Amino acid sequence: MNKKMIAVAGAFLLFMTALLPAQTADEIIREMDNLQSFDSLKVTGSMITTDRFGTKKIDYISWSEGDDQFIIEFTSAAELGQKILRTSEELFLYYPDAEEIIRLQGAALRQSMMGTDISYEDMTEGNDTLAKYNAELMGSEVVNGHDCWVIELVAKTRKVPYPMQKVWVAKDTYIPEKGQYFSKSGKLLKEMQVLEVQEVKGRILISRMVLEDKLKKNSSTEMIMDEVETNPVLGRDFFSLDQLAW
Amino acid sequence: MKLGSIAYRNIYRNKRRSILSATAIMVASMSIVLLFSLLTGMQGDLSYNLQTYATGAVRIRDAEFSRNERLNPMHLTIENVDRLTEELLATPGVSVVSPRISFPARIYRGDETYTSQGVGLNFDTEALYQDLGPEVLQKGRLPEAGKNEALLGYKLAGKAGVDIGDRITLMSTTASRGTNAITFEVVGLAVFPMTATNETTFYAPLDRVQYFLKMDDQVKEVLVKTDVGVDTKMMAETLKTTLTDVDELEIIDWTSISTSYSFIELAAAVYNIVALFFFFLASTVILNTTIMVIFERMKEIGTLNAMGMSGKDLVRLFFLESLYIAVIGSVIGVVLGIIITQILTRTGINLGAAMDGVDFDISSVLYPRLSLKSTVLVFFYSVVVASVVSIFPSRRASRIEPVEALRAV
Repeated sequence: MNKKMIAVAGAFLLFMTALLPAQTADEIIREMDNLQSFDSLKVTGSMITTDRFGTKKIDYISWSEGDDQFIIEFTSAAELGQKILRTSEELFLYYPDAEEIIRLQGAALRQSMMGTDISYEDMTEGNDTLAKYNAELMGSEVVNGHDCWVIELVAKTRKVPYPMQKVWVAKDTYIPEKGQYFSKSGKLLKEMQVLEVQEVKGRILISRMVLEDKLKKNSSTEMIMDEVETNPVLGRDFFSLDQLAW
Repeated sequence: MKLGSIAYRNIYRNKRRSILSATAIMVASMSIVLLFSLLTGMQGDLSYNLQTYATGAVRIRDAEFSRNERLNPMHLTIENVDRLTEELLATPGVSVVSPRISFPARIYRGDETYTSQGVGLNFDTEALYQDLGPEVLQKGRLPEAGKNEALLGYKLAGKAGVDIGDRITLMSTTASRGTNAITFEVVGLAVFPMTATNETTFYAPLDRVQYFLKMDDQVKEVLVKTDVGVDTKMMAETLKTTLTDVDELEIIDWTSISTSYSFIELAAAVYNIVALFFFFLASTVILNTTIMVIFERMKEIGTLNAMGMSGKDLVRLFFLESLYIAVIGSVIGVVLGIIITQILTRTGINLGAAMDGVDFDISSVLYPRLSLKSTVLVFFYSVVVASVVSIFPSRRASRIEPVEALRAV
């Protein structure tokens, strides 16, 4: 009798689950972006690049506001004082020994940032995925022990670094546990995996992830966010060229 | 009368014909002297340019650099440069040493970017290694140590739209495998011998490049020039046994650097084929005139035959005639070739615009150079070819019956 009851209850639960409204790929991506977006954010961390020549660590502090305002300042000895400013349209590099602020454009954006697996172009990616990509839910897979939705993103415009992406979004946290970035021809260019997350003011944030440039042999860059400060007070012109040389 | 005297007299019997034959031989031998001199000059120029601007006679780098060269491994440097330089200069046969850092850089001017090749040099000692005099330094002055100054190839300066006193910002990969940018003031414009170098290269003080690329007291390579006549392969082997820290270094002579020396070898082979082709053309001219001469003189051949001159003597007679004409033509041709070469050695041959955009280690002004091959060998070859080719038609003529020879006329 007990067994019969359990079987009926199980069937009922399955039936009820099927009746629940299924989340669309757009909704999942929107939720994923929302979780990673803050009015403003200050992060202190480091990037550790490992390649055939060994391991290199670069420390940084970054400030961001909204989807597309971003400054990163490097604090390790070899890069001390170097900064990158990203505004909604452009990317600028500041070097203490250069009188001119360098505006990166075109093919130069594809260069590696400080010898890491991250390109300058990667930094132009904001948290407005749906404005640039069409999303399609491909199924489910388990990644890093998390049940994930597999979503394929196909670019709407040519103004994106990767014409095609595949993201594995955790169903419980909406964290993109894994990402693959492809060229137009379908060649895998880069792969990202989340290694650690942390809770900041009730929200789950990525605190450690690794990015591999698949065009380089045995190369990967680990991004570590040691300290995260949400909604720091930033001046009105904080993300301007005038502020780069402060 | 001796055959030699008859042959000598025959030259004057038909002066126009003799002059025509001698002229053909003269033009051919003169052309070949000029061609060989030009090729010798080109080879010397290529060798000088490679040794001065690219490889040295012997190149010393970090042992791992070449294997990773395509990845631009700026962190693979040479340390203890002063000690290495002292040891090199103390080695018999080493004439001069150039520690340097060559590095790819992007020059930023406003929104424009220019790809360039920077070279950090010690200007106090570099003048011993390469010509940095008024021939090269066309405008301004050389950069000074301790100052953010640069000497630009004049075409690079033109492309970037900069002149003396202007400032350029450049970015490059550093020895810490990051990037850095720095601003240099343009203090001089240079005209390097090679067009491609003028389009991309700039020189800057070694100490400022070391600071910019985070190299402290390190350099990327040390180029070595040797005394004249020193076998560079042997020199490289010697240095491998005498230098300290040899295990951390790659010591290689310029002929073993595949890209450069193999090209010279290939070029030499191609040049020799071109010269042979020239010889072949000249030979056909000589052969043609000799055949014509013999056919013109069929009646004479018949008469001499009828008078009892043997076939062998007939062949000898024509051979001697051709030999005299060949000697006269070759002497005049080689002497004229030497005179023209000497003039061109002073003035140079300006290839100028023809070399624009050519990425080739040959100077835009070429100076032909005389050599044993381009003078003595050309003379003997011309004489031998011109004389020997007369044997074939004259042998045929000597076999013709007198009656037949007389009828043929």
